[in-house]
Amino acid sequence: MKNGENKKTNNPEFWKSLKEYYNDPEVLKAKANEFADGVTDDFDPSEMSRVSRRKFLALLSASAAFTATACSDYRDKGDVVPYNVRPEGVLPGKANYYASTCSGCSQSCGILVKTREGRPIKIDGNSDHPVNKGKTCAIGQASILNLYDPERLQQPIIDKRKSSWKKADTEIISALKESMAEKKEIALITHQTDSQTEKKVLDDFVAAYPNTKIYTYELFDSGNRYDGWKKAYGVTPLPSIMWDKANVILSLDADFLGNEGNYIEAMRKYSSRRDAVNNASFNRFYIAEAGLSLTGMSADYRFRLSPDLQLEFILSLLNEIVSNDPAMRTKLNSAAFDLIFRNSLEKFAEKSGLDYGKLVNLVIDFKNNAGKSIVYAGDKLSPDVHYAVNLFNYVLGNNNLYDYKSVFTNRLELSDNKDLKNLVESMNNGMVGAVIHYDTNPVYHFPPELDYAAALKNVKTSITLSELPNESIAASYYAVPINHYLESWGDSNPRVGIYSLKQPVVAPIFGTRQKESILLTWIIGKTEAYSEDIYHSYLMENFKDSVYDKTDSAATFNHFWNTALHDGIISIDESARPPVDFDMANINLLKPSTASGGFTVILNKNYYLGDGRFSNNGWLQETPHPVTKVAWDNYASIAPNTAKTLGVEFGDFVRIKVDERNVDLPVVVQPGLIENFVSVELGYGRENSGEVANGVGFNVNVLLQFNGKSKWIINNAEVAKTGESYELVSTQEHHALDDESVKDFHKIRGIIKEGTVSEYKKNPGFIKEHDHELFGITRGHEYNDVKWAMSIDLNKCTSCSACITACNVENNIPVVGKDQVGRGREMHWIRLDRYYSGTPEEPKVSNQPMLCQHCDNAPCENVCPVNATNHSPDGLNQMVYNRCVGTRYCANNCPYKVRRFNFYDFRDHFADAYYQNDLTDLTNNPEVTVRSRGVMEKCTFCVQRIMEARSESIKDGRKLKGSDVQTACQQVCPADAIVFGDVNEEGSEIQKYREHELGYHVLEELYVKPNVTYIAKLRNTHSSEDV
Amino acid sequence: MKKSALDYILKVRLPITLFVIALTFVITFYVSRQERDSVGYAPIQPINYSHKLHAGDMGIDCEYCHTGVSEGRYALVPSVNICMNCHTISRKDRPEIIKLTKYYESGEPVPWKRIHKVPEYAYFNHSVHVNTGIQCETCHGNISKMEVVSQVRSFTMTACLDCHRDPEKQLPYLKKVNKGPENCAACHR
Repeated sequence: MKNGENKKTNNPEFWKSLKEYYNDPEVLKAKANEFADGVTDDFDPSEMSRVSRRKFLALLSASAAFTATACSDYRDKGDVVPYNVRPEGVLPGKANYYASTCSGCSQSCGILVKTREGRPIKIDGNSDHPVNKGKTCAIGQASILNLYDPERLQQPIIDKRKSSWKKADTEIISALKESMAEKKEIALITHQTDSQTEKKVLDDFVAAYPNTKIYTYELFDSGNRYDGWKKAYGVTPLPSIMWDKANVILSLDADFLGNEGNYIEAMRKYSSRRDAVNNASFNRFYIAEAGLSLTGMSADYRFRLSPDLQLEFILSLLNEIVSNDPAMRTKLNSAAFDLIFRNSLEKFAEKSGLDYGKLVNLVIDFKNNAGKSIVYAGDKLSPDVHYAVNLFNYVLGNNNLYDYKSVFTNRLELSDNKDLKNLVESMNNGMVGAVIHYDTNPVYHFPPELDYAAALKNVKTSITLSELPNESIAASYYAVPINHYLESWGDSNPRVGIYSLKQPVVAPIFGTRQKESILLTWIIGKTEAYSEDIYHSYLMENFKDSVYDKTDSAATFNHFWNTALHDGIISIDESARPPVDFDMANINLLKPSTASGGFTVILNKNYYLGDGRFSNNGWLQETPHPVTKVAWDNYASIAPNTAKTLGVEFGDFVRIKVDERNVDLPVVVQPGLIENFVSVELGYGRENSGEVANGVGFNVNVLLQFNGKSKWIINNAEVAKTGESYELVSTQEHHALDDESVKDFHKIRGIIKEGTVSEYKKNPGFIKEHDHELFGITRGHEYNDVKWAMSIDLNKCTSCSACITACNVENNIPVVGKDQVGRGREMHWIRLDRYYSGTPEEPKVSNQPMLCQHCDNAPCENVCPVNATNHSPDGLNQMVYNRCVGTRYCANNCPYKVRRFNFYDFRDHFADAYYQNDLTDLTNNPEVTVRSRGVMEKCTFCVQRIMEARSESIKDGRKLKGSDVQTACQQVCPADAIVFGDVNEEGSEIQKYREHELGYHVLEELYVKPNVTYIAKLRNTHSSEDV
Repeated sequence: MKKSALDYILKVRLPITLFVIALTFVITFYVSRQERDSVGYAPIQPINYSHKLHAGDMGIDCEYCHTGVSEGRYALVPSVNICMNCHTISRKDRPEIIKLTKYYESGEPVPWKRIHKVPEYAYFNHSVHVNTGIQCETCHGNISKMEVVSQVRSFTMTACLDCHRDPEKQLPYLKKVNKGPENCAACHR
């Protein structure tokens, strides 16, 4: 209609007079001249003022400027606007902390959210939470950026047009009712939630719309683990593992310190047995894996083993143990014994190429530590392997280490393949009236065999609930925006008897609603039914029935509820049933998989992007991969020899072909992999998912296997060079391990010092043997009061990178983007260096967090021409941004290369100033300067926290203690590897670490006297292997 | 030799010009110093509030209204509800109080003009200073005598350091006082 109108008004010919209308020649002539005749008569330029217009303007502005400077009044300093009514408990300038629950992954760790003036700025772990005990991971830290993502959906979208809640709700409710009337299915696709109340909402939804079917999926699930457990122990819930009680650990392709299960808990417990300073007895950690995982980097022994051989491996080990131990044999029935007896370890060693001597040592370790050791299989391995592992642990009595006091709850049951196939079929048949993607992204996640995107087109009403744009939003008619978890109410029940609460710490920034409230509105079936409080009161009511009534608390429910909100966590004694006996009946179902020809491909979960839900988070995209150090991409990891055979190098494309599907990926040549094997991470190659996420990496979900024992392990793939190449960026340079000029330089230069446990026991001072006296030519500083120092225990550090993101959030570190990382301009104040030694086939990996060492004789200080970096009396190497002119001399002179230069105002530079807007500015920590272009920056030992502790101590009238300050990296470290404190305080923790025999400084011989002490890594190898 | 025009320009005109410029600069520099440091700045406030009446004549403690001063970074300009503690009853009929009540009832905050300001790159903390016993008057002047508050001392880095370096002289009323920190990170980070 509008177009028609336009046409009408655009077209008519305008005319000024009738003469013109009739094309009078006079008028035509006048039209050709710009001015009428005679208009410039009596105009003589020579008689005019000699001051030209230009000069006049110059004089005018000069005099205006003069008046402004000379006669101006005071400069206006703006307003200072207090609250009208100051909310109780909010003191501007002071942080408030609220307990909540992290929703970054399915583990639901307890968190404390730090807010300033009502806006969340940092997430820390809740130390009262029995599982994560005050620690979080990289994802949890960075998840706060999603709250301030400028591309969050802000209002409901109907058919790509912005709309209102009222319209969307009305239309959706009538569509749901229509589906009911037409007897068509309503499919609700969700993730596995552990929230009892959310499950109840789903149940209510099914009750309101009985045609609803709930489908549950995860891109990475623990389904195989649960299946293996169910076969072994029936319906007994799955216990967690007491890693801290295990003397010997064997992991079969399980990345339990990196991204499987609650790795925060596992890291804490594992590293408590790697504590040389506090004299822990070391555990011995073996891993059998095909790729090189974060967990694998920490292992004392790595066996490179194809996933196909894992079952045979565990059965062979069991055979070797059982055959010489009649007592253990009695635990097996004859069928089991027959099966196991067929597997000989010696033959297995021959077949797999593993070192038989080492396998025998492993067997000896297990025998000596029966009941105090554990075998743990990875989520991706088939249920058969899990069953066999359970059998192994049962026979050795290792089920002592199952923690039945901390048992996993049953989440929503995963839909099996048949369900999903049926769903797609009925969608194609028009039997599905409405599809609701309940905070899920099946268009991206579902295996290509389902062809879900095409099926979705046959559904009349498609609804996607999401925070951020994604593939499913793009394919849906209705896009319904939901709250970030920091804006939401909720509960979670990650372990039996542990209930943690989620509370909003900020009102919804946009016109979003929380997902449960949206469903509740649809359940009631009226748009007016919605209120901000709808889920809050629902949650309280359900909590009263399901939790409060179970406690014999004398408090009223309101009191109970407020306490629970304050603490964030309720623990009640709901002891799980004791374990029943191992069910050996299923042993006949164990079938060793047949060896495959061609390549094996493993699809891994990315450590930071999860299943892709954090793709639009720049901090997580830029966190370098813990093993390969590549950021902003996924790639095919291939062993060096395989790469040679294929004729590819770092960055060259290979084509991976599985059946009809194929994908081209750039190669990273990765030491320590099995041959003819590719390891790829998912979560990349996003479309329609935001400025940061779009087009980063490659979508490898096409390789997901729909049928078969494991979704993520693919056999018989073809891999070939394509001839093209691609630019991958990494934060550490790549060099050949066998290049003599650089081989082991980290050991020769004393950057990494390490040894074995037996070596240390024999000679505790072994790492200092080659030390000699050093002397300097400068006068040292005097430290009469507090002197700050840090220690990092390399035995405990797993390279999980939580410290990097915690530092990013605390210190306002910008995202620089792929091209800048490629130029070595990443801004992280702490980096994780990874060094290889040994052979490319069997590398030993050493990790080292590297940050400003706050040297006593700092080389950077001497060279600054403007004294912008200098020394403080408490031992800090200070960096004064407003004095820095950006000569970069300091960075040149820093032996540790930890200084970072702002080549741009990176907030402005990255992706068309994506992160420079009023919303994202709210992420910034107001206690830390936002650095601009042209200044140098580096780790400050969180000086803002030191100053805060100092002001608190002055307020309380006491002396500042080292333990008053926790740096952000220390606070987050799940392995407790970082210690920070005052060296001059007698008996302090940091003193113990600094003076420990295993403590050393990197590049000690430069005599810069660094203040970060590294505790040398000890590998717990067999003493017989000592050289 | 005949004097050329160039000679005249170089020997007479140029020195005079330079002298005038230098003189103007020096005079302006010193005369405008107070203004540049904001000393004497007393903007018109949205409500004609008298510190002399409240803090002076009635002797209300500074911390009654500036509640944050011993707690944290900001002393805090009082929120309207603090004023209303008294003014729901007292002097309700005065025009300025009527203005105040209007703000309170509409829920609007009062847009006070800022008088004292430390630059953004300096992280000043009130509580550290107040809790060591430094009196408000030392930096803010005798507020209790001011009808209209104005800035009395300059808030430059020199002013800070004068006190940090020689506290005995600047704070004679404190019996025992340590030197303030002089390192950069004490204020800049």
